[in-house]
Amino acid sequence: MKLKIGHLYPELFNLYGDRGNVRCLEKRLQWRGIDAEIISLAVGERIDFTDLDIVCWGGCSDRESELAAKYLTGICRDFKAYVEDGGCVLAICAAYQLLGDYYETDRGKTEGLGILDIYTKWAPERLVGNIVLKSELVPMPVVGFENHSGRTFIGGYSPFGTVSSGHGNTENDDYEGLIYKNVIATYLHGPLLPKNPQICDLILKRALQRRYNTDIILETLPDEAEHKANHQIVIRFPT
Amino acid sequence: MKLRSRLAIFCAKIIYMASTRLKRGSGSSLPGHVAACIDPEILSGLSCMVRKKVIAVTGTNGKTTTNSILTHVLEAHGLKVISNRLGANLPDGVVSAFVLAADSQGQIDADYACIEVDELSSESVFSRLRPHCVIVTNIFRDQMDRIGEVDTVCKRIQEALKHVPEAELVINGDDVCSRMLADCCRNPVTTYGIGEKLAENLPTGPQEIIFCPACGARLKYDLVQYGQLGIWHCPVCGFHRPRPDISAAEIYFSGCYSFTLAGTPVRTHFREPYNVYNTLAAYAGLWIVEAPRQKFHPVIEQFDYGNDRESTYTIDGAHVQLFLAKNPVGFQQKLFLIRQDPKPKDVFIQINDTKLDGEDTSWLWDVDYDNLSDTSVKTVTVGGIRSSDMELCLKYEGISCSSAADIRHTIQGLILQGSRNLYIVTNYSGLYRTNRILQRIQSVRKGGSRL
Repeated sequence: MKLKIGHLYPELFNLYGDRGNVRCLEKRLQWRGIDAEIISLAVGERIDFTDLDIVCWGGCSDRESELAAKYLTGICRDFKAYVEDGGCVLAICAAYQLLGDYYETDRGKTEGLGILDIYTKWAPERLVGNIVLKSELVPMPVVGFENHSGRTFIGGYSPFGTVSSGHGNTENDDYEGLIYKNVIATYLHGPLLPKNPQICDLILKRALQRRYNTDIILETLPDEAEHKANHQIVIRFPT
Repeated sequence: MKLRSRLAIFCAKIIYMASTRLKRGSGSSLPGHVAACIDPEILSGLSCMVRKKVIAVTGTNGKTTTNSILTHVLEAHGLKVISNRLGANLPDGVVSAFVLAADSQGQIDADYACIEVDELSSESVFSRLRPHCVIVTNIFRDQMDRIGEVDTVCKRIQEALKHVPEAELVINGDDVCSRMLADCCRNPVTTYGIGEKLAENLPTGPQEIIFCPACGARLKYDLVQYGQLGIWHCPVCGFHRPRPDISAAEIYFSGCYSFTLAGTPVRTHFREPYNVYNTLAAYAGLWIVEAPRQKFHPVIEQFDYGNDRESTYTIDGAHVQLFLAKNPVGFQQKLFLIRQDPKPKDVFIQINDTKLDGEDTSWLWDVDYDNLSDTSVKTVTVGGIRSSDMELCLKYEGISCSSAADIRHTIQGLILQGSRNLYIVTNYSGLYRTNRILQRIQSVRKGGSRL
């Protein structure tokens, strides 16, 4: 078996160790004897979404996100079709915001891809710090680090998790991120997957099931180091 | 001088004496804090008494080293220099440097002031310090939870420079970020740069800017040093690396760096590629303010680039080198230096996440750890508050390591097991404590008893 993992615009969207997510997906496939092909989806190149199993998309600065905008309009239609077809997406920080309709700042409105019917509004106070979630996707608590001035309003979508410690989508609600079909969109970096191996495995399982159209049971891996790193955050940042 | 200023200076000195007598901290910021509370104008009042020039050094990496070179060179010419040499670069530390140098009448007797300034404090400091020259060493990602993205840093320094529009701005022209920063300022600009490769196999690490800040096209590099530093240009709009006013030529490395600077060869004692840049930064600053430079080369040949922060120790015959690594590009450089040493070695990495370090450790994943998989690296041990993050990161890079809770026991244990060559890499909050521990072990061992 084999999965193709596309790293979307890695040269622009690489702010918070995001390559660690790609590395985690790759290694956890290889450790199970499953092939992984990492495809660096560079700006300006044609992207065949039908060929991809997982799309990883990371954070970037405001200037870089404006730069990316002109390339994003070109991939919008295919990307949306991929999402609707159940393609797996992991979108972190800026990528989470860009999946939505728009991002409104004090300087104006930036159009998003409109793949998700959500929007983000800028506020001067940045929401920064370690964060712990309870997610319905996995039994383990989800840990990470958030650093965003955007407040994202997710409407009727299911959140990625409920905040146990930290801020989340806005400072006033209990929710963080969102899930839609096989999309996980979140502000959590750290990077997300190495310290939350169950989330990583969930994405891998869904991608394999979609690719091979059969039920998949992933072999258990020795995850002591992952669990230890996760647990250290959970106990330091209690509810 | 007004009474208020004299009172501020008096109180600062009392506090400094008390804190050093009681051995509570280095006394590098509290005196300044109190002085500024008593007299908020104290810094501008004292700074304008400097007889010749005030030079400020800011940027991500290399501030302390560059500032230390400036200070040593000027002092070698018999000049009196005010400097925050301990690297206390926040506003309080800057004020401390001045008030502690003032006499009881509130007068400053100094020819130059060389002041290291934290990037984010640049605006509040420049408006009062009023430097004649500002050196920006480089801009890299660093403590993003506190400092923010590189664009944020550039904007902060640009705002700071608006307070001193006549100040000579000295930048590393090989750094696209610094060039972008300088382009939005009205200050006169001096650049330094390096036209030849600093080292083979130098890992590049994350490049902060890949696309042209002016037009968005992909930048082209004729030469990459590390990070985004190199000889670059935009093939579309023509935005390019400026031709350096000051550069190093005929770079030669055999254990230490030698090169030609301003037409004269210099043989240094350092082996770190980035210190060529720091040396050029200091020279360019002195050159543009027309400070004496006749003794620059001899001072450089004797200069301690470790600033007492990255010391070497001998413990029971084992060579122990302490390195500071606080951001991806710095970490990668240190790993490169470890790899350059062909002798077998053990490596200890300590990662903390206090406010001093930055609470976000995701930057660890931006480092290329290839240099640790070299066969000369016998063991890797991780420690610190975030040891498990470091351990996890290495696991996914295929590098095995063990974790240890106590640095002192780890060092002693490794030496007991026969390590002759030990490298310790730590981020900021662990630096002073680790230095103290190593000093103590070294002096105890010299005293006789075996481990």
